[in-house]
Amino acid sequence: MRLAAVYYDGRNAKAHPVTLCLEGDKLLLQGKEIVRRDAISALEIQPPLGSTPRVVLFADGARCEVADNRGFAELFPGADSRVAVLENSWRWSGLALLLVLALAGAGYLWGLPYAAQRLAQRIPAELAASLDREVLADLDGKVFQTSRLSPDRRRGLEARVAELVLPDPAGRPGAIEFRFSAELGPNAFALPGGTVVVLDALVELAEDDQEIVAVLLHEMGHVAGRHALRQMLQASAVGLAMAWYIGDFSNMLAAAPALMLEARYSRDFERDADRFAAEALQANAIPPGRLADMLLKLETARQRGLDAKLGAGSDYLSSHPTSEERIQRLRSQ
Amino acid sequence: MAQHQAQPLHFSGSGSEYFRLWIVNVCLSIATLGIYSAWAKVRRNQYFYRHTRLAGAGFDYHGDPKAILKGRLVAFALFAAYTAASSFAPTAAAFILILIVTLAPWLLVRSLRFRLHNTSYRGLRFAFRGRIGPAYLVFLLWPLLAGLSLGLLWPFAQQRMAAYTRNNSAYGGAEFRFSAGAGAYYGIYLMTLMLGVVLFAGLMVLTSVLGSNGWFAVEEGQLTAMSLLLAALGTYLGLLLFAYPYVTARLQNLVWGSTTLGGHRFVANLSAYQLLGLMLSNVVLVVLTLGLYKPFADIRLARYRIEHLQVLVEGSMDDFVAGLQAGASAAGDEMAEMFDFDIAL
Ligand SMILES: [Zn+2]
Repeated sequence: MRLAAVYYDGRNAKAHPVTLCLEGDKLLLQGKEIVRRDAISALEIQPPLGSTPRVVLFADGARCEVADNRGFAELFPGADSRVAVLENSWRWSGLALLLVLALAGAGYLWGLPYAAQRLAQRIPAELAASLDREVLADLDGKVFQTSRLSPDRRRGLEARVAELVLPDPAGRPGAIEFRFSAELGPNAFALPGGTVVVLDALVELAEDDQEIVAVLLHEMGHVAGRHALRQMLQASAVGLAMAWYIGDFSNMLAAAPALMLEARYSRDFERDADRFAAEALQANAIPPGRLADMLLKLETARQRGLDAKLGAGSDYLSSHPTSEERIQRLRSQ
Repeated sequence: MAQHQAQPLHFSGSGSEYFRLWIVNVCLSIATLGIYSAWAKVRRNQYFYRHTRLAGAGFDYHGDPKAILKGRLVAFALFAAYTAASSFAPTAAAFILILIVTLAPWLLVRSLRFRLHNTSYRGLRFAFRGRIGPAYLVFLLWPLLAGLSLGLLWPFAQQRMAAYTRNNSAYGGAEFRFSAGAGAYYGIYLMTLMLGVVLFAGLMVLTSVLGSNGWFAVEEGQLTAMSLLLAALGTYLGLLLFAYPYVTARLQNLVWGSTTLGGHRFVANLSAYQLLGLMLSNVVLVVLTLGLYKPFADIRLARYRIEHLQVLVEGSMDDFVAGLQAGASAAGDEMAEMFDFDIAL
């Protein structure tokens, strides 16, 4: 059989209409001005690519294109690469789609948190602590002012925390920092390196030290699980992937889905931190319900609109709508 | 002046066909922990190049996936080292950043050479012959000065980059020439600025009129401040949305309109409005489909960009084809190929 083709000699741009046919293990190419015979083993027969013409490359830089894909496949039946078979079939590419969706889902649900957890464990404590110093230096003077609590009060609370029995010694905070913030209201945070920041308003809102200890134990649960570090790693991975994927000028749009994807992780972390706090509270003969009391107070403080910004930012304590569920779980313990 | 005959470029790729290629690429890239992505890039480029047709013939891509993999490994190593160091060891990060910045012009020249050498049309290869020395001026010094001048020199730096890349490119034995001066680049950015000013003034007038007629609640004496604020916000949003497609369209038109290949010329006529609509709808659809629309978006954008480009052929089509010959210095290109690697740009 003869196949119509277009031949370019690689030295000139002129297109030569030619015909192709097989002569044993040789390819015979015939045109008005050209005849060439090449051993098939010396040719580079490119795999099919969608509806584009089939391409044969010659060792001397010449090329030949065949628009008739079906005819070409009959002439060279073995030249279909496996990848091209996958690409050309809706069934296989559909399977690939399902596989990708499943892998992406699994990666997001299990892979990323697992990778972040393993990575967080490998990050040396000094490095993480230096990160905390940077974060604090960044916030001091802008969002945070020096604490207005008396030094005695602060030392007293620090001593109270130091003598707590913990279910996991990894929850012992690197340092407790007291700060005043007009904007953030009653709140406490665990920083990536294990520093716990307590805001004056939280100390003032609490009825007694047990409630403060309950909140601090919740934060120490975050420290034990290195939640802030993991959150940071996950957020950067998701943000990076989004920015890379959508690309172009839409980086700002990529931030929104990244934030949405983040919310779920923090919910899991809250649950872990609550569990840690409940265990520790029981170990220290404080009813876990005291944490629930405090959560309720924070919730009312928020709803009263004392602080509009409380729900935003890196607040791990009361930023989630699941507060009610958390309170119930703590009370039942 | 010789007669010029317009030859439009056509793009025959289709979204549904490319989707299958794309999803298989993604799947295999994931399954091989990213290694297949180099082969995927070759398949993708071949798909887009072969579907780009001019005067009855398609382009082709010949990149070696192993060279691309090498380049990606180097880029990944540098990037990973920088990211890891930047969170925990700022001094090391600064050192790596300096290393990346010093290497960048060299890497850019290498990958330009790789990309053009591996592009062909009608069996003839393109080539890039830019030297390393000027690349440091163009890709390092001018952008650095542009940054230091708070962007005032940026149009100039962009013009230097386009002139360097185009003037050192060749197709077969013919060389590309680039004639646009920095003035034209400043013109585009000034026009963008003007649009901003006009938009701001218009919004100012509109909000003042609406405000004084009680369309929105405003306190006595606060109307000017309120209008200023609203107009500034509107201008910011308008430019954020419109400036990128506007500058992209105008720049592409300028760059092609100032490029020649022997006696042949080029015309690009992209419209900023159409590009804006295209990009915006693409982004929205990609987000809504959790990314699955991406291959369709890529095809749409490629089609728009390619089909708004024409080659103005000098003389007849036959003369055009007959005049295209292979370049003399093929040996130099082979040397380049041996040491070359492509970096994702
Ligand atoms: Zn929490």
